[in-house]
Amino acid sequence: MARPAVRTTGLSKRYRDVDALRDLDLEIEEGEIVGYLGPNGAGKTTTIRLLLGLIQPSAGRAEIFGLDCQRQPVEAHRRLAYVPGDCNLWPSLTGAETLHLLGRVQGRVDTAYRDELINRFELDPSRRVRAYSKGNRQKVLLIAALMTRPDLLLLDEPTSGLDPLMEQAFRHAIHEAREAGQTVLLSSHILSEVEALCDRVGILREGRLVEMGTLDEMRHLSTLTVEVVFDTAAPDLAGVAGVKRIVVEGRRVHIEVQGAIEPLIEALAGTGVRELLSREPSLEELFLAHYGPDGSAPVGTRNEQHRASANDRD
Amino acid sequence: MVIAGQVSGRAGRSGTVWGVVFASYVTAQAFGYTSAYRTQASRDALANAFGTNVGINALIGPARAINTAAGYTSWRALGVLSLLGAIWGLFTSTRLMRGEEESGRHELLLAGQTTRRRAGGQAIIGLAMGLVVLFVLTAVGTVGTGMTSSGGFSVGQGVYFSVALVGGAAEFLAIGALTSQLASTRRRAAAMGGAVFGVAYALRMVADSDPTLHWMVWISPLGWIEESRPLVAPHPLALLPVLLLVVAAVVVAMHLAGTRDLGAATFPGRDSSDPQLALVGSPAGLAVRLMRPLALGWLLAVAAFSVLIGTVAESAAKAISGSITIEQVLSRLGGHGSLVTAYLGLTFVLLASLIALVAAGQVVAIRTEEAEGRLENLLVRPVSRTSWFAGRLVLTTLLLVVAGVVGGIGAWVGAAGQHSGVGFGSLVAAGLNIVAPALFLLGLGALVLGSWPRHTSAVVYGYLAWSFLVEFLGAVVHANHWLLDTSVFFHMRPAPATRPDWVSVAVMAGFGMAGAVVGAACFSRRDVLGT
Repeated sequence: MARPAVRTTGLSKRYRDVDALRDLDLEIEEGEIVGYLGPNGAGKTTTIRLLLGLIQPSAGRAEIFGLDCQRQPVEAHRRLAYVPGDCNLWPSLTGAETLHLLGRVQGRVDTAYRDELINRFELDPSRRVRAYSKGNRQKVLLIAALMTRPDLLLLDEPTSGLDPLMEQAFRHAIHEAREAGQTVLLSSHILSEVEALCDRVGILREGRLVEMGTLDEMRHLSTLTVEVVFDTAAPDLAGVAGVKRIVVEGRRVHIEVQGAIEPLIEALAGTGVRELLSREPSLEELFLAHYGPDGSAPVGTRNEQHRASANDRD
Repeated sequence: MVIAGQVSGRAGRSGTVWGVVFASYVTAQAFGYTSAYRTQASRDALANAFGTNVGINALIGPARAINTAAGYTSWRALGVLSLLGAIWGLFTSTRLMRGEEESGRHELLLAGQTTRRRAGGQAIIGLAMGLVVLFVLTAVGTVGTGMTSSGGFSVGQGVYFSVALVGGAAEFLAIGALTSQLASTRRRAAAMGGAVFGVAYALRMVADSDPTLHWMVWISPLGWIEESRPLVAPHPLALLPVLLLVVAAVVVAMHLAGTRDLGAATFPGRDSSDPQLALVGSPAGLAVRLMRPLALGWLLAVAAFSVLIGTVAESAAKAISGSITIEQVLSRLGGHGSLVTAYLGLTFVLLASLIALVAAGQVVAIRTEEAEGRLENLLVRPVSRTSWFAGRLVLTTLLLVVAGVVGGIGAWVGAAGQHSGVGFGSLVAAGLNIVAPALFLLGLGALVLGSWPRHTSAVVYGYLAWSFLVEFLGAVVHANHWLLDTSVFFHMRPAPATRPDWVSVAVMAGFGMAGAVVGAACFSRRDVLGT
């Protein structure tokens, strides 16, 4: 049986009195594209740095294609490529020199693909890194990673400096990676990007993986928002199975349902429903549900959730 | 005032270290003089010898009234410290202004409510605070020395002397602030300021080597400081152009800071070039390419310095023939060897410090590569940490050995030009001898880098400064040998005055090697750490 591309068991990292990562059990099969979400400080970068062997775990272990990330980093690194969020390159080297160096160090480069990527990302490789904007430095590192056609791509917020056009070029490259059977772990703040690209999504919170699954699975487990407008006064739906929360605004009622929706539909029969809207939660809502006002509120109105997110950004 | 606070903190720390060095140097000169030249006759002989020594006069300025302790102290301390201070000022201001801007750290601060002009002004205030620290510590040491029987000058004279001593630092802090606006990288800003320093020093050398050209001393910023003549014939008006230069450089720097974009420069460097792929095929090649400009600069400095000491050795040896210290040294060494080799043996300690400084700089460069995140680009690829670390240490070792050999050959070239009759082989051996302390320091640095990375710079430079101090003071004060033992330079024989002790060279290099091995083992097992 093929070994998973990534496997961690009980992986933990503690800095003095802060648990950066707690007891992570993660398995990514070959060919999967996995999104990794969480606010700053949730442990995304810590996970990736542990997988790269740049830092030592306080407990647990991590493997890449069955290779121990601590004991066999060089062997593991032959099969992967990494794009960091901070682009710290050598300022005196040009883009071309940097790509040459990183390709030679990696040991394999698809030069035709590299040139194509340089074109697609509209990078001028004759310029020195010192003269590049953050976005251009990020392009250099993205091209350096993709051009080696690695079995595993570890991407830590790889598009934070790219403009929307380059974001499209990035998505295109990830689709190509998927077709080529490459595995991708994509840590990102851009939820639409993760929603568009990833097969599975993991959500981290304060160093713990609180959710892991396909989007469909996550939607199934989460609440469904149903909005009903009645002809007459709204009936009492509080006792209906699965209903978690009701907000009444005159004849308009917002209902949050968890699990099967049939009991609600049955209860609504013959109550004079004029309009009925039901919506699956977006990834953003799924994500924000884990960061509600009291920390773990999976139930709450959408408006409240949005307010909470606005506060987070302040 | 965030920038002012940050810059003054860092400049102040550096100013503290150098302030202690300045103060100790002044004290060591005064005490060394009174203990080495006890009779007025020997002092007059010294004055006669140096009065006619063109080489030494060109190097550190004309010797005036050196038959008194105050005159000698003024000559030696001003000659050496004004140059050291100028170099310190240049590196400090270009590092804290252009270096910080280049690294992007000022960008964050400037996003706050600060204009670029104000930010420039704040950085300059921070640098001025560093200068104040340097001055205060220097003045404490100088005035204190003046109060003893060895010094014998008043408080007012001591303060004036201290002002002159830090004059070079003030000038080149300001010049560095200006070149930081003109050039787009720290290295280029330092090179521009270095060119100003080179021209100023060359002009002064010419002025001091030919009496008919002495007027040229007035067109050199370093000449003005020489002409202030503290303790001997004070001439405060000579410091007026120093003040004017500082004010003008600061005003122009502030103006340029306000009119340019962040990160931009009046003379931007070339931002594109054809790829030079010869070296960028491996981590070791990359290291060579990154080290190359600085390494060549150091080798040039070592070569120039060693040729100079070789050239002046013959005449300087005659000058110091009356010194009790030299006679003591000679007798301690068994009496063999000429005065010329004795002089070279004593000055090679300075060359050893220069090479140790190269070692310290390289250790800090290795740590910076890690701290600023560039190393990760290699370590996330199939590059083992141990081999990368070992590669950098081997390259540095090679550089140090080459520097030692260059130092030996340079001294031979200089000495051969004066027909001093010192053998090529003994000078090359002396050059290799002085590599040992640098290798020890390199190993110590590797050990700290592996086990206590965030303190690498402080430990390495701190230990080097400590060794300097013990060496300076140890030559003057009859210090406890346990104290002397803590200086790495104490364990080095003063070749070519005596044969190198290859056993102690091997022991120092062996300790260095052990430190490097343990450091590499720790480095490969610890977290990769940022700043």
